[in-house]
Amino acid sequence: MLTAAKNQFRVILLSLKYNIMREMTNRASFLTNVLFMVLNNATFLIQWQLLFHLKPEIGGYAFHEVMVLWGLAASTYGFSHILFQRAFQLPPLILQGKLDSFLVQPKNILLSVITSATNSSAIGDLIYGYLIIVIFRFSIPNLLLFTLFTILGGLIMAAFAVITGSFSFWLVRGDLLSDNLNNVIVNFGTYPDSIFKSGVRLLLYTIVPVGFVVYQPLHIILNFNLTALLGVIAFTLGICLLAFFLFYKGLKRYTSSNLMSARI
Amino acid sequence: MRKYLFILKATLMENLQYVWNILLGFITFFMLLFVFMNLWDYIYSDSGNLISGYTKDQMIWYVILTEMIWFSCRNATLSYQISNDIKSGSIAYSINKPYNYIAYIIAKHLGEIAIKSLLFLVAGLIIGYGFLGSLPPVHLYQLPAILVTLVLGTFINTFLKMSISVLSFWIEDATPFHWIYDKMIIVLGIMFPVEVFPLWAQPVIRATPIFVVTYGPAKLIIDYSSGMAVRVILSQLIYFVISLSFLLFIYQRGVKKLNVNGG
Repeated sequence: MLTAAKNQFRVILLSLKYNIMREMTNRASFLTNVLFMVLNNATFLIQWQLLFHLKPEIGGYAFHEVMVLWGLAASTYGFSHILFQRAFQLPPLILQGKLDSFLVQPKNILLSVITSATNSSAIGDLIYGYLIIVIFRFSIPNLLLFTLFTILGGLIMAAFAVITGSFSFWLVRGDLLSDNLNNVIVNFGTYPDSIFKSGVRLLLYTIVPVGFVVYQPLHIILNFNLTALLGVIAFTLGICLLAFFLFYKGLKRYTSSNLMSARI
Repeated sequence: MRKYLFILKATLMENLQYVWNILLGFITFFMLLFVFMNLWDYIYSDSGNLISGYTKDQMIWYVILTEMIWFSCRNATLSYQISNDIKSGSIAYSINKPYNYIAYIIAKHLGEIAIKSLLFLVAGLIIGYGFLGSLPPVHLYQLPAILVTLVLGTFINTFLKMSISVLSFWIEDATPFHWIYDKMIIVLGIMFPVEVFPLWAQPVIRATPIFVVTYGPAKLIIDYSSGMAVRVILSQLIYFVISLSFLLFIYQRGVKKLNVNGG
């Protein structure tokens, strides 16, 4: 069991290595993507500077606290799209019958699928997240917590993408539903939860797990709470198990399209 | 000209078949509007009646209108088709056809956004009315100037986005440059009217595409004045000429660099 898990982990790392090597075929384009993504995220610094110029606190948060929120949103997005980019592209693979080549592999099918691509610009997001935590709230415990939440949040985002992507096993237009639900995490995750009314906040901790990706981790970084931390870990495990369960349940309905394709 | 109108009409008819796809794409539009409206609602909760001369209703209408304009103009044809045509070399099949490639893309883009713009207009007005209980105070005589600014703004944005895509003749992937342009409009042009910026930054913002693409038309709808209408239209005409000339210039230069192998 342990050896199998170790082997699977090695396969994931190898997959990541080759994905990045493929992305780096055009080095100039790769570096531009990474650098411009950091700049792209940095534009939001102006937005928040302006908002805090109008009001000294927003939703009970100071400027540097909102920046940590932004850092978490960027790093979790980065982590999930570097390692599990295909989790966000599941619907076309399912709808067009392109899962065949993964079904014959001797390793875990879901992990093989979701680790088969990398988004190079997401490296810029991850770098931006760490720049933010170093600039605005640097300490060794904070850096460790930030890293832990980057991994947990990235796993939650990927698992949520697998869950919404798996709808395509049952729904024809599941791709649009999946895209929109995944966008909720990005759009809501970069604004403090306290600006929303309690009903919306409830949705953000249940139907769409933004609360466990960024809001709760931010609260823990600002005021450490072991119970809350264990809650985030338990939620991550739960949603990952649900993602595996739904994907394999849906996979029984999968039909190949006889499409000839090559994975390069 | 007739062939481009035909392209526009054909694309429009094609897009009419996919209205449901457009409507499902509205979910992101609603989500962003919802976030922005909550944010402004919060910021106005304990401040006075005005922020930088805007009431809460005007500010929320400003966000709704600029977002409507931006979502109407957004189109993968401008951001990706030109780049992909250049990268894949398939532009070689387009430039030897009996039409101008640039005019073809513009006609196709306008055909694609026509229905979308109308739907976003209706959706935005419904959301705004639902949230605020009133519509922006627009009089009939103001409509021609507002429509002119909306059309000119759309064209300017089209030319600028196409210019960025044409950069693919030199750099393989122009996407990062699109991010920066889009973020400039989204972060600085959608959320805040020019007056919210510090005084020293306002002349700079007025010189950017934000003023002619989003701020100008939205400002005229929420707070019309003939002086502002003249100023916006004049700025747009200058931008129109410069951005179109720039697009044609770099396209001509880029095509000369085109080197297609194989068939």
